[in-house]
This record gives sequence, structure tokens and C-alpha cells, in this order.
Amino acid sequence: MISLAARDIAHSWSKYVLTGIGLGLLIGVTLSMAGIFRGMVDDAQVLLRNSQADVWVVQKDTQGPYAESSSLPDDVYRSILGMPGVQQAANVTYFTMQVQHQGKDTRVMVVGFESGQPGAPPSLIAGRHVTRSHYEAVADVKAGFKLGEKIRIRRNEYTIVGLSQRTVSSGGDPMVFIPLADAQAAQFQKNNDAIVSGRERTAANPAFNRPNVPGLLEAVQMSQTTSHNVNAVLVQVRARWDAAQLAADIQRWKHLQAYTYADMEEISVKKLIATSAKQIGLFLVILTIVSTAIVSFIIYTMTLGKIREIAVLKLIGTRNSTISWMILQESLGLGLVGFIIGKTVATLWAPVFPKYVLLLPLDAVLGLLVIVVVCTLASVMAIRAALKVDPAEAIGG
Amino acid sequence: MGQPCPPLLFIGFLTRPVGDEPRISVATVTKQAISASVFGIGTVEARYNYRIGPTAAGRVQQVLVDVGDSVQAGQTLAIMDAVDLDSRIQAAGLAAERATASIASANAQTKEANARFTLAQHEAQRQQSLAAKALVSPSSSDARQQDLAVTQAAVEASHAAAAVAKKEQQRLQAEQQALRQQQANLTLTAPVAGMITSRDAEPGTTLVAGQAVLTLADPQSYWVKARIDQSLALGLQAGQTASITLRSAPQQALPGKLVRIEPLSDSVTEERIVGIAFTPVPAALSSGELAEVTLQTGQKAAALVIPNAAIQQQAGQSGVWKLNPDNSLQFTPVQTGIHSLDGQVEILSGLQADDTIVVYTSKALRADSKIKVVAQL
Amino acid sequence: MADNTTPAIELRGLCKRYGSGDTAVDALKGVDMRIAPGEVVGLVGPSGSGKSTLLKCLGAVIDPTAGQMFLGGEAIFDEVWKVKDLRTLRRDRIGFVFQAPYLIPFLDVTDNVALLPMLAGKSNKEARRRALELLEALDVAHRAKSNPALLSGGEQQRVSIARALANNPPVILADEPTAPLDGERALAVVKILNDMAQQHQTAIIVVTHDEKIIPTFKRLYHIRDGKTYEEAVS
Repeated sequence: MISLAARDIAHSWSKYVLTGIGLGLLIGVTLSMAGIFRGMVDDAQVLLRNSQADVWVVQKDTQGPYAESSSLPDDVYRSILGMPGVQQAANVTYFTMQVQHQGKDTRVMVVGFESGQPGAPPSLIAGRHVTRSHYEAVADVKAGFKLGEKIRIRRNEYTIVGLSQRTVSSGGDPMVFIPLADAQAAQFQKNNDAIVSGRERTAANPAFNRPNVPGLLEAVQMSQTTSHNVNAVLVQVRARWDAAQLAADIQRWKHLQAYTYADMEEISVKKLIATSAKQIGLFLVILTIVSTAIVSFIIYTMTLGKIREIAVLKLIGTRNSTISWMILQESLGLGLVGFIIGKTVATLWAPVFPKYVLLLPLDAVLGLLVIVVVCTLASVMAIRAALKVDPAEAIGG
Repeated sequence: MGQPCPPLLFIGFLTRPVGDEPRISVATVTKQAISASVFGIGTVEARYNYRIGPTAAGRVQQVLVDVGDSVQAGQTLAIMDAVDLDSRIQAAGLAAERATASIASANAQTKEANARFTLAQHEAQRQQSLAAKALVSPSSSDARQQDLAVTQAAVEASHAAAAVAKKEQQRLQAEQQALRQQQANLTLTAPVAGMITSRDAEPGTTLVAGQAVLTLADPQSYWVKARIDQSLALGLQAGQTASITLRSAPQQALPGKLVRIEPLSDSVTEERIVGIAFTPVPAALSSGELAEVTLQTGQKAAALVIPNAAIQQQAGQSGVWKLNPDNSLQFTPVQTGIHSLDGQVEILSGLQADDTIVVYTSKALRADSKIKVVAQL
Repeated sequence: MADNTTPAIELRGLCKRYGSGDTAVDALKGVDMRIAPGEVVGLVGPSGSGKSTLLKCLGAVIDPTAGQMFLGGEAIFDEVWKVKDLRTLRRDRIGFVFQAPYLIPFLDVTDNVALLPMLAGKSNKEARRRALELLEALDVAHRAKSNPALLSGGEQQRVSIARALANNPPVILADEPTAPLDGERALAVVKILNDMAQQHQTAIIVVTHDEKIIPTFKRLYHIRDGKTYEEAVS
């Protein structure tokens, strides 16, 4: 027995392929949407992974440093280093800002890190790590900078010496790693006008500008421009020590908030993306319904166009199941064509998206299963119409 | 039909690695020269700053120089208002003159007392001899003796008065001297040759003692006070050559020399403070300008060297991913020595020359990662 | 008329009533018919006479209300259908040739013909060989690989005849097979039908009102008001 569906598809392949392209684009959008969601999750996770930390120590009663702002004195890490079970503890700062690059504003997350400590860029794809303790930076390749270019952060220019990949904030902004001291200064640094007017304001305050206390004003102004705060302390736990126990100890004895990897995942992945997950989930459901409607409409129309042939087929003794199978196959075939096109376009246009789009093979398989179900459902209406065709219609006009 | 078989295409799609396999680029461990340098940020400042002001509270009368003026040692820079100082000097002079007169008067009194004493002496000797011959009564002789004592006391008293007058004169002269000195102090002069860096008070301003009217710095004493991260400070030694880059001229490296490592570190910023002298001092330096300092701390002619991008952290251990000849990966802990500023690292142990190591990776590696070696990522 | 042989198809008092009660319409009011193997008969009548209904009953796509229907001596209908599977009956024992050829547009000429043997369970190869034989016999073998839509009307009708013959049925029902054709080609088709009937010993009922071909039938059934009247021509 020959495959009627295959012959039918081959016969009207142009119509079929055009329809398949339309459906494929829709499936491509669906897959991309799923990819965008996966990308968001991965962005949040990669931020945690890249920190190479087991415990995050942040300001008490905050959920920092990613979900909330957090500020700690920068000497806290010393007391944490002294706790049993701590392998490494390093200060780190995060702040988001716009940097100018080739006349365009790029939103980046500036990370202040200590060389060789948790929080430093984990690996590079070009260039080298920072060797000077000031004015050198490693940037994520997504920020668009090239090696040797200068990036201006607040008042200073930093030379890009290395490029990293997949180092992004939970919002997907590329990271720029700069030495901690610079970052501390930059985080609280104002522009020159603000500094000058701040100085004038202080000078105009008689409490700070006392003629009989020379040097007081200068001292006050110095203290206003320096920062000794960081956003978090990243802690690595010694082998065979329990991170949760250490976090609990830090919380209890140091009066700081400490989160383990699992806690951070809960905060920055689950909570942060809960709404987005619902949003995109709903969107996927709608896209699925739309796809179902489209496939079923197309298959129904195609079947109606073949009513006479179906009547003849029935008259000459073709089984109903054969006819149903033909329609189902055509529907599945359409789905498959759509899937292949959709997967192709999703893969092709994924890198163009400004944010990370992660196309998981598992999602593709799930998508295919959904398409199979959708196409089966979509063919039901057409099959019912085909089964209602009376073979007698072929006789007598 | 000549159409591609959809199932095959489809299987190809699913199994296609979607950027799953990490792409890496590799390098070979080489033996080469490496020089260690440290980098720090500092400000240009004068090594010595002279804050010139009055020694006593007073009002500024005149400021003769302005910021940027070069001055010679001893040059008058500013004058404080004398107020009543001249009158006080005059009063002290008059008092001293009066003291001189008092000395003369005391001297006259001494002379008189001496005369009376001599007379009393003669009288007493005569009476004594008469009394010995019993020509006069003993009481008359006693009276003469007493006169003698009285006149003697008068002589001593006049001596004392003269001494007091002398002292008074000296005191008043000293006082006048002091006031003259003070008058001299009202003129603020340059202690060394240099340049005025700030002008802090204008004529009419009343200052307390210790407040400065002008700040003077010697441009030849300009140096860079730099802060070096403690973790990089190993190997710093006075005398090491340095290169200094000023913020105003980022392309130009100025020669310098490490002249001082301060014994005290900044415990808050965890930095060492060092002084780097310019060799020679360039003209038109601006105090307070930001400067970047690179110090040569040491070098080795032949060391095992790898790019620092290859160093990775695994479970708190520094190491590199070694690519074995059979294309398998192996994490090898290493000990590092010199870090050069251009991103090279000396390997003390853990690697051999000609080992192949992973430098760049597109993803975090694991020992069982399937990898793809590319020339450039 | 050869009464001594078993007729390929025989109808006795076949009735068909549409609807029921007051609105009931009797389309067939006792049709009698008897056609021998290899015989080609015409069936003529004005529209509304019951031609189509008769054809549909013969084609086993509607149910007669009464009467009997025999195929090769076997009673397939006797007040009720006697065969379980009308679909198989249509497939294996009745061939259809339509007014328009009704070829399946997405199958080529060979497969249009081969479809029936395939549906009957023959292998693709065997079915195609059978189809080619028939196409050869009907002189359309040169179009075997063509799309049916590219064939001329006469060629299409010949393919349609080949399809009707494909499973070698004892009866072929031809519903105005010459309607879209001009006189010459119509006659050619009738000739083919006659040849095939002869060759395959198939009884062929040709429904027509084509004046050009009516004279070619040796035997003609007229149908009027649901009844048939036989007319022997020769």
C-alpha cells in the first residue's frame, strides 16, 4: 500500500511548505519564548555559579546582593576568615550602570573583585586576567568591548584586558570586572560637579568649618569621599564542612545574613523569575492554542478541498481508517515541517537576541511532543468531516 | 522524489550539540624571561610643605606673593599688622632709660654712704683710742661704734639698690629686644626657595597662632606618594626603578625611583605606602595629580611561564587544565611565582616545559568534558 | 438474451423509498434487471426518473427498501443486505466509471489504477503490474507516470475505465461516461467498454442520455417513474 498522505503532500508540496513555514515561524517563536525563559533561569544561575561561592554573607535582614541592595563594612571578611571551616572569603561589590561604547549606552553590571578570590571572572575567552590593582577590567563579550579598548566607569577609564563569556547579572546584563578598590570608589563616586558642590556645602556648614580648628574641614571632606563598604562577602567552605552550618554560625555570631547556594538559588532564581515564569508560561499556552487552531484550520481546509476525492476513495472501497490515517499523517507532517523550520529559525535567530536564549534539546523534544499532540487534536475536526463524506456523492453528480 | 528525508533531518536536529561542548584554546608552557612588576596609584605631592604663618595671633596686613610665584629663601612673603607693638617697644625703651637713671642715683647714694662710713670709721677709731686712754666714757665709744655699723649698713643698702636698678635695666632691655623680635616675626619670610602653592589668608584676616597665610613647596621635592596593594608588595626595595604615568599625560611614562617604603601600612585599605621620586623632576607638576606607578620588583631570565588566563580555581585550589596528548583533560594544581603585568605567570611547580594547557574556555570545564580545540574563541 | 447462463447482475422488484409517511417518495418502484457477463447495457431516462437512485443501489452506497439483488447468482440483497461488508463489495465486485473521471489528483496514473488492487491487499508491485497491463490494453500506458490532471478528457476516462477494471469486478457501473466528450471520443469510449466487457466478461451498465451512443447498445433499459422497461435494439 502506498502512503496516500505522502503522495498528497508531494502533490501540493508548495502549499504545504508555505503553510509549514508559517506554522514553523510560529513554532520558532514558541521555542524562542521557551528559550528566553530558559535563558533567564540560566542567567540567574550562571551568576551564582560564576561567583564560585558556597556562602554569601550580606547585610543583616536583606536578601542581597542580587535581589536587594546590601552594604557591609569591608573589614567584615577578616572576621569571617577567622571562622572554622572557611577556606576563602572575599569582598565583592556589584552595581549596575550604563557605560558608553561607540556612542551607545550599554547597561552593564560592574563587579568589584579581588584577584584570585571568589567573585573573580572564572575563565576567559580572550586576553588575560587583571594584573594591575587599578584601572584594568575584564568584560563580558556581550558588552561589545574589544581587547585594549577603554571603558569609562564614573570618573576613571579602565583598559579592557580580558574577555569572558556567560558572565551576566540575573537581568542578563553583561558584567565588567574591575579591581575591588576601584569599584568601591566608583560605586559611591559622584561626578566632579557633585563633588565640588558637596565640598562647598560642607564648607558652608559652620559646624565643620570652624576658624579656630584648622584642618577640620579638610578632614570632614576626606571622610565624605571615601568608601569602605562592599555589597557582599563571598565565602568558600573547606572540604567536608557543611555550608549550611557555616551560614548559620555566621548569622548567629556575626550578626549578618548568610545564604547558602540553595538559599541564593531560591532568592535569585525562583523568586526573581516566578512572575516571568507565569508570564511566559501563559504566553506559551496561548501560542500552543493558536498553533492548534492554525493547524486544525489548515488541515480542515485541505480536507474540504479533497471531499470529492475522499468520496471516490470511499466508493472504491478505501477504509475509513485509511482516510483518517491519511489526514492525521498530513497533520503530523505539517507539524513536523513546522517543527523543523521552527527549530531552525529559533536556532538561527537566537544569537541575535540581546539577551541569552538557551535552547535546550529537552525543550525541543517537549515541543515536538506537544506538536504531535496538537496536530493529532487539530486533525480531529478534519477527520470527522472526512468520515461524514457519503460515498454516494461520487455518483450522479 | 528528491526531497530530504524529514526523519533524518529531525534526528540531526535533536542530537546536534547546541553549543554544548566547550571550545577551548591552548598554549604551551614555555621557558622564558619574566619580570615582576607591581602597580600602584598615587598622587603627586611635595615631599616637604612649608605652611607659613604668624607665631602669634594677629591680623594680616599685607600678602606680597600669590599662588604660583617662585620665591627665594629669605624673601618677604607677607607682613602681619603690628597693632601696638611699636608703642610697646617705645615704652620699654623709656622704662629702660629710667632704670639707667635709677642706677646713677643708686651709685650716688653709694658714694654718699661710703663717705659717711669713712667718717664714722675715723670717728670710731679716735674714740677707741681715747677710750683706751680712758679719755672718754665707754658709752661715747659705743655710740661711735653704732654709728659705724649704721653707716656700713647704709653702704650695703645703696649697693643693693644699684644692683636692683641694674637688673631692672637689663630686664627692660630684654623686653625691648623681645618686642623687636616680635616685630621682626611680623614679616613672614620664605624659609627655603620654592613655589607658593596656596594662599590661605588675605589682608585683614585675623589668624590664630599656627594658621597659615601661605603654603610653600619646593618643586624639586615633588614625588609620588603611591599606595601598593599589600598582596602585591612582595619584593619592594628602595632604589628600584619605577615608571610614573601622570593622569594628564597617560601616554608618557616618566622615569622614577622608589625612595621610601613607609614602615606603616594602611590597615584599612590594606595598602603599603611608598614614595617614588622623579628622576629627574619634570617641570610644571601639579600637586595632587593622580599618577600610576609601575615598579620593577624583580626578574628571572628563564622561568616556566604561562598566561594568567589559564589559572583557574577548583575547590579553593589554583591550578590549570592540562590537555594530555590523548585529548583528555586533567586539572593540575600549580604553584605560581612572579606575576608580570602583561599577564604572564611564573610556574614554580606543577607543570613541565612543553606541557599543553588550556588558556581560554567558552564554558567551565570538567575532567570528562568533551572539548573542541580552536585557535581563537 | 441468454437465460441459461448465470447473470452477472440481477435485480428483482428493487424498491427505494426516500423519507417516510406522507412525505415519502418512491424513487424505485420495483425494478427488474438482468445482465449477463460480458454484456453492455444502456440505462436511459429523464432526470428524476430514478436513474441515480438505481445506480446508487447497484453501487451499494444506499440501501434499497425492498426487492432482491443478485451478483453472479449470489443474493447480496434480499430485503436486507446479505453481505457484511459493502465496502469490500464495492472494492472487489463493482467497478465505477463516473461522469467526470474523478481520478485522485495526487496519485499518478498508474497508482490511480493500482490503488484498488492495493486496497484489496495486493503488493504494490503486483498492483502496479496489473495497472500497467490495463493501461496498456486501454492505450494510455504512455501516460503511466503522468499526473492525471495533465491528461486529455478521453485519456482520463480511459484511465478511469482501467481503474474500474483493476480488481476485475463482475459488474461495472458507468455513470454518463461520455458526457464530457465529443461524439468521436464518446464512441471510442463506448467501444472500449464493449471491448473490455467482452475481454473480461464483465457486465457493464452505462447510464446515459447521450443520443450519439444510445444506438450502440444491444440492449437498453428505459427508466421512468421508478420502473424499468427493457428495449432490445438489435
